[in-house]
Amino acid sequence: MAVNVFSREVKKGSAELMILALLEGRSRHGYEIGKQIEARSNGAISFQIASLYPMLYRLERRGWIEGRWVEKSGERRRRFYRLTAEGRQVLKRQRSFWNEFVEALDRVAGIRHA
Amino acid sequence: MQWHDYVRERLSDITGDAARDEEIVEELAQHLAQRYDEARQAGAPHERALAMATGELRERAQIARLIREADRPRPHRPMPPASRRVNMLSDLWLDVRYAGRLLRRTPGFTAAAVLTLALGIGVTMAIFNVIDTVLLRTVPYPESQRLVMLWETDRASGTEREPASFPDFIDFKARSRTLDRIGAFMPVDANLQPDQGDPMRVAGLAVTPEIPDILGIRTIVGRAMSAADDQPQAPATALISQRLWRTAYGGRDLVGRTIRINDRVRTVIGVVPANADFGVVQILAAADYGGGTGDPRMQVDVWIPLQGDSKRFPRTTHPTLLAGRLAPGVVVSAAQDELAKIAADLEEQYRADNDKRGVSIQLVRDVVFGPVEPPLLLLMAAVALILLMACANVANLLLTRSTRRLREVAVRSALGAETMRLVRQFVAENVVLAMSAVGVAFVLAFGVLRTLVAIAPADIPRIAAIGLDMRSLLVGVGCAGVIALLFSLVPVAQARWTALPSLLKSEERVTGGVDARRLRSVLVIAEVALAVVLVTGAGLLIKSFWQLRTTDPGFQVASTLKLQLQLPQSRYPIQANPMPTSAAIERFNRELLQRVASLPGVQKTALAANHPLDRGFASSFIVVGREAEGANWPEISIRRVSPDYFAALGVPLVRGRLLDDRDRLMSSRGVVINRAVMDRFFPSADPVGHQIGFWGMPWTIVGVVGTERFQGIAKDPPIAVYLPLDLVPSNVESVLVRTAGDLSTLASAVRAVVRELDPAMVVYGVEPLEETLAESLIEQRFLMTLLAALAALALALAAVGIHGVLTCNVAQQRREIGVRMALGADGHRVLRGVVAQGVRLTGVGLIVGFAAAIAMGRFLTGLLFGVTPTDVPTLVAVIAVLGAVAAFSIWLPARRAVRVDPLVALRQE
Repeated sequence: MAVNVFSREVKKGSAELMILALLEGRSRHGYEIGKQIEARSNGAISFQIASLYPMLYRLERRGWIEGRWVEKSGERRRRFYRLTAEGRQVLKRQRSFWNEFVEALDRVAGIRHA
Repeated sequence: MQWHDYVRERLSDITGDAARDEEIVEELAQHLAQRYDEARQAGAPHERALAMATGELRERAQIARLIREADRPRPHRPMPPASRRVNMLSDLWLDVRYAGRLLRRTPGFTAAAVLTLALGIGVTMAIFNVIDTVLLRTVPYPESQRLVMLWETDRASGTEREPASFPDFIDFKARSRTLDRIGAFMPVDANLQPDQGDPMRVAGLAVTPEIPDILGIRTIVGRAMSAADDQPQAPATALISQRLWRTAYGGRDLVGRTIRINDRVRTVIGVVPANADFGVVQILAAADYGGGTGDPRMQVDVWIPLQGDSKRFPRTTHPTLLAGRLAPGVVVSAAQDELAKIAADLEEQYRADNDKRGVSIQLVRDVVFGPVEPPLLLLMAAVALILLMACANVANLLLTRSTRRLREVAVRSALGAETMRLVRQFVAENVVLAMSAVGVAFVLAFGVLRTLVAIAPADIPRIAAIGLDMRSLLVGVGCAGVIALLFSLVPVAQARWTALPSLLKSEERVTGGVDARRLRSVLVIAEVALAVVLVTGAGLLIKSFWQLRTTDPGFQVASTLKLQLQLPQSRYPIQANPMPTSAAIERFNRELLQRVASLPGVQKTALAANHPLDRGFASSFIVVGREAEGANWPEISIRRVSPDYFAALGVPLVRGRLLDDRDRLMSSRGVVINRAVMDRFFPSADPVGHQIGFWGMPWTIVGVVGTERFQGIAKDPPIAVYLPLDLVPSNVESVLVRTAGDLSTLASAVRAVVRELDPAMVVYGVEPLEETLAESLIEQRFLMTLLAALAALALALAAVGIHGVLTCNVAQQRREIGVRMALGADGHRVLRGVVAQGVRLTGVGLIVGFAAAIAMGRFLTGLLFGVTPTDVPTLVAVIAVLGAVAAFSIWLPARRAVRVDPLVALRQE
């Protein structure tokens, strides 16, 4: 069941991390980002318009990602997002933070083996 | 489907920038188009695919707002950074500003919380102010803890607070070592002839020179009263109050000049402050009897030397009230022991006059404040309950809100925010909330106090000084501070107790877990219970008041006018030979009765030394032939009336005959007793024809009449004997006139008659007897009105509480209700569920409340009349009222639950 866990507060933390990570390898459009998160989390996390696009625009405003309209022949004009250099730095920092955090949680609560 | 148009129609003007809006609309349109296409490809029918896509735009206003906020570079992030080493002050300021923003964002919640808290804090401030002003502030006497009243007791009649005889006063003064000073005073009705205008009746005190000294009264102008002034043959002098000095003499130089009081010329020696009479009214009211005007609004304006001597005031009479000051280091009990010994010696020495006489020492403070303490403390307790209820309601609101914010706390504390930092944020929020409430409460308290002062009985000490001040404000701020702190700990504790992973995963926790729901239920039960206590208390007082109103006072008040007259002794002298007689008064009375009776519309006219709500005085008595029994009898009230009194006031004749002209003769001395005397002292014999003895002579009983409750409706009718006013005249009289016409017209006509007969006579206390009766119940009415208002407030708060919790529960169970209804549950079942929940909460609250109400009922006992604290009809009525209120509060959310649309409820997730 798709549980929409993500409040705005959480988005500032973990959702940001997920979007930045998804854009690390290649650029993607909004719908694709949402689908990917849903697919990779086995449906545990889902995004809808109300949660996804404000997040994308916020990251863009901060200069961590960049959106561009791309028109491919035979397809609709779409807005693709890619990671900026600054975004790459942020991703690196957030990864190490979450790593430490999850490890700390693991040490305390043993969640990895759950 | 034109998705672009679909989105543009629903999301117009997002950022304020048309080009940017167009981009956003385009992007979202593509999102929806792809969602629809994918659903179709997965095999969904057109309608279902369409619903899936359009469903995403359902909360379009919120989407527009979120995008607007995200797409705009913002000067402040709403959450202040959780860093450790930031300047405390600027941090605090950030917290407060953030709190203000958050509260503005939820105006409904903020208004509800602020108003509820303001109600609780406002009434607390108001009632605290009354108690502070009346009870807590220091008494304006120097060293008040040493100031005592010295009452005489009478073991024969059981009276505890009698004025003393003047010779006893002299003996106490000479022999006592534990009291370093004793003074005597007695009330005086003063007939003052000002330079211009009508004569005025002012209240006065005749005092020995020790009294101003003991009470710490300093003269503003002129000199103090001296021992020389008090010598029996000394020139007549007077101190006047600042109030009288201003109103009657315009504040001009008066010292050394003369004024006329009771037709006697007195030299003014000084002016004393207006509040010099503090406590006098209460002391006079506390005395078992002692004259006085009986008017609680009395203000002492004239202080004259008592100039007492044992010839004028023999040991058999008890006119003087005694006040004293304990010697340094002496406690009340030591003084009591010493004076009791002196009294025993006097009893031994003057067996005839002082038989069974003792003394009782009481702190003046206790005499003055004793009677008002229980009702005021009761009010304070009631107000505390209201404050608790208001807090419970706001706690409920905060709980609902804070569970929504649990994730914020969890995430921030996971990200390393210190607990203190989080607590501070919530404290800031609640402090902003509570202080806004104090602001509103202040305004509210102001209004409440104005109303209170307007309806309060005048004999509450210092009632006129009531008004909001710094101390009340501090109490309000203190309450608010404690409330804010307590409320702040809740979400933080909740978050720390709740496992973080479950918070991150589980939606249910976030919208209010089982714990929060249980806590809310407990709060509602507590509220209902508190409301039961308050409503029961108010119900009992209302019933008690109703009993007072419907109790037959023993005399008829309707269509009866009362006027009081003072006949100055100079022109209406009373000679004692040996019985007091006065030809002048007899003449005046006869003329007055005749002329008033001939006024149009007058049905009956009577005169009495005391009107039927004036307790007057009492005397010890015996039944002739049964002298030995009489030693332990209570004193009998002496009522001096004209023969028509019984007819005018509708007092029924029970046996024998009423008073008539035969009885005014010294040789016959016929009297009428009331039924209480007959029932108690002649249970088997007919009293008519028997003789009773008082004032050292026998009187023959000619009849028995019904009982009048002239000590007040709440008191049992006292035993009384009626004698002809003509036989024992009085310088103070009440005229009682029954009419078929208009009372105010009659009042002016009677005044005119008095003026014709004696232009200099003072007329006062002119009012319908009905009003006098209502005035005598003002204290009960005051308490009842206030408690009823507080109970109404409690009901409203309880209703809001029940409604709020059930509404919140229904909202949280929407999905569950939706599923159940989708699976075929009918509306009635859902309705039953919600109603059962409400009934359970209310039921438990009622049971707890009644247990508490019955346990606390004994505190009310002294304030009730004709009702026991466990009065069944009242308790049933309370159940009915609370049940009705609860039913209404349950019905609204229950109806909402039934109207849940399964499709909408499910889609919400």
